[in-house]
Amino acid sequence: MTVEDPIELPWHVLADYRCFGCSPHNPHGIQLRFTHRGDGLRTVFRLGRAYESYPGVVHGGLLGVIADEIMGNLIVLRTGQIPFTTGMRMRYVLPVTVGGRYECVARVRDGDGQLIHTEAEIREEDGPLVATATASYRTVSLDAARARISLDAPEIARLRQALSATGPAAETPTRSALPEESHVRVD
Amino acid sequence: MSVSTDELIDEITGIVAQELGLSPEAVSPDADLRTVEGADSVKVLRVIARVERARDVELEDEDVFGASTIREVAEVVQRALTETAAA
Repeated sequence: MTVEDPIELPWHVLADYRCFGCSPHNPHGIQLRFTHRGDGLRTVFRLGRAYESYPGVVHGGLLGVIADEIMGNLIVLRTGQIPFTTGMRMRYVLPVTVGGRYECVARVRDGDGQLIHTEAEIREEDGPLVATATASYRTVSLDAARARISLDAPEIARLRQALSATGPAAETPTRSALPEESHVRVD
Repeated sequence: MSVSTDELIDEITGIVAQELGLSPEAVSPDADLRTVEGADSVKVLRVIARVERARDVELEDEDVFGASTIREVAEVVQRALTETAAA
């Protein structure tokens, strides 16, 4: 397996962003990291007992978080816009085991610019399918989104610059010297 | 784009055969999927997930768990496709 450097998400310009899914600054979050996979994104994760449902089984809602997170960030990186989830649907096939290593891959299915449809698959790493997700996102400009998100003017300026470096023509930067694996730990 | 139930049966038969490691000829469209050699409820759900993805359709759980054969799954998919097209 080739280990790629994780993608530098635009949110990383915000020193204290706390996204439950992808911030490295939220100790309660799952701190996902993403790499490119074809036209889509891939993340690898391993969840501990803090995310348990039945003994030894990861709570299914967390799989929804992971799918939503990777699909949303995929849209950010492809469009430079801010996506808001308008609908999401999961198909659960197999329970996800606490401490097991899994991967999630997402891609864009279609979209007209303002409403984008995506899909994601969660598998045991290089193994069988455990869940699929489909979702729809409405994308808005940062200017339209700022009424709904808590950022001050300097943060908006930094984020605007970071978002302008994403989108169809942009080469997404990566963080060097970071392992591909999410640093969610089994506790 | 419309698709016939027979085309869907062929497509789903291929997916079922792949999931179960059988040749498509060994899978009858009218056999109870849960009694086909090598099948279990997880593999059937995997088939459903693949069909949903291939056909860009979301099947209702009541329909999925109410379908026993490939033909019945194809009919469920056909209905869902028709409803999506009409929406």
